Amino acid sequence: MMSPALFLLALITLVPFFSIIWMSFNDVSLMGGLAFEFSGLDNWQRVFTDPDIRSSWLISLIYFLATVGLEMAIGTVMALLVYSLTRGSNIIISLLLIPMFIAPVIVGLLGRFMLDPSHGLYAWLLNESGLFDGNILGSVGSAMVAVILMDVWEWTPLVALIVLAGLASVPEDTLEAAEMDGAKYGQKLLYIILPSISNILLVALLIRAMDAIRFFAIIFITTNGGPADSTKIIPIRLYDIAFRFFDLGYAAAVGITMLVFSIMVATAFTKLLKRQETSS
Amino acid sequence: MKTSKRWLPLTFKIALLTFLLLWTLIPITWMVLSSFKPNDIITAGTPRVFFTPTLEHYTSLFSSGNSLWPYLLNSLFIAGVSTLIAVVLGCMAGFGLSRIRIKGKQHLAFWIISTRMAPIAAVIVPLYLLFRYLYLLDTHAGLIVAYLSFNLPFAIWLMTAFFDDLPLDLEEAAMIDGATKLQAFRYVVLPLMTPGLVTTAILCFIFAWNDYAFAQTFSGPSTQTIPIAAAQLLTQTGIDWGKLLAIGTIVVCPMAIAGLLVKRWLVQGLTLGAVK
Repeated sequence: MMSPALFLLALITLVPFFSIIWMSFNDVSLMGGLAFEFSGLDNWQRVFTDPDIRSSWLISLIYFLATVGLEMAIGTVMALLVYSLTRGSNIIISLLLIPMFIAPVIVGLLGRFMLDPSHGLYAWLLNESGLFDGNILGSVGSAMVAVILMDVWEWTPLVALIVLAGLASVPEDTLEAAEMDGAKYGQKLLYIILPSISNILLVALLIRAMDAIRFFAIIFITTNGGPADSTKIIPIRLYDIAFRFFDLGYAAAVGITMLVFSIMVATAFTKLLKRQETSS
Repeated sequence: MKTSKRWLPLTFKIALLTFLLLWTLIPITWMVLSSFKPNDIITAGTPRVFFTPTLEHYTSLFSSGNSLWPYLLNSLFIAGVSTLIAVVLGCMAGFGLSRIRIKGKQHLAFWIISTRMAPIAAVIVPLYLLFRYLYLLDTHAGLIVAYLSFNLPFAIWLMTAFFDDLPLDLEEAAMIDGATKLQAFRYVVLPLMTPGLVTTAILCFIFAWNDYAFAQTFSGPSTQTIPIAAAQLLTQTGIDWGKLLAIGTIVVCPMAIAGLLVKRWLVQGLTLGAVK
């Protein structure tokens, strides 16, 4: 029963996988028909020496730490808040979850709409309150903050949802016992709640880590890497190399370095699952 | 017990929750609300909450020369077919994988999960080249294949997790009563799998429906999906915000409703079965 699916999966993943490796050792030209020209390690040398790539990885790292960090922190707080509700938690979590069903393109659209310098609601609020009066998506710094917050807006609910599921497994009787012994909320959080959801937090972290490098549509549609390349994370850079400069061989080499990252995350994920299996 | 859940002053808690709800809901509400405003109110310098609602953007989307219908049909067809293939094959493979005991099963599992986690930008490059060779650019089949590259491993993995939760006793009992393995699967296992199947299908559909990067690269005039319609309007000079917000509302609402319908199994689905 498994063979049709596995055969199809092999066809649509292994063929591209070997193609991308082969491409990375070639100069692939699209102009006037496809042409491969073997170029040895040229593309690979460029990957490791190109200052643009290095700065894109750096921007990716900042973007990654900021988005995933904020999502984990706010998502956990969101989950603890909803968990502490005695009623209405069902409807409130439903409302909070909505952003994660929204297409990233539409999240980008919303960002542009809310931050539009002439009529955006958030731009207007920031302007009226005297906090910021420039073009948010058009200035270095504020553009980065904006695209980070858009990602946080979309994906924090996912972290909250995962953490909330974990909170259901916190031992109630231990909490009650701690309370009778006079434990404060901070102590309960630190010594009982957080330790018992640590595995869940790790799952949330890994899921977000893999998606953070998978998607790039929000930035694509809002700043497309600008202004002055300040939001050009590595997938956007790759897309530029491949489809603006049509340097597909080089793009393939960059793509493989991204694949290595995602394979590391996948390894951690499967290890974690195995640990869960053996512990339960 | 209620007391064990209580923490922090109540007012602080309510304030924080209100802020998070506003932060989450304002952009969506503002989009849906504004899609019923005439354009001059949308682009007015000061935001307006009260206005006479109009359906002009929606009617113009479906009547004007560049109608949204083809985009909508492309989206429905491509996302629908890729979901159907992923769920049917994923269900079969998931059952097999869950029940089989073979050496190297974890390598198989690792391969499946890592194909699902592969960065879109890295997958696009070789697929683009292959699609050019195979004349799959600007075809429905091309995009369906592209979406299967993430939906198929997702469906296999998730269905395996759902089947793992189902006790073996049930099928074994059916087989002791004389059912074949296939009959046990068809009449005992499959009906119990309905939530798993529905969840997998809805999530696959949402992933395909929401995709932008693949569609942007592989689609052409005859295969463009709705996110492309939105992106095209967004890159024009002199953006027609009313139309754009109406498209946004059309893209978002059905998926939010579908997603919330399977809320009960959402955690399991989106963590690929790691959390129950």
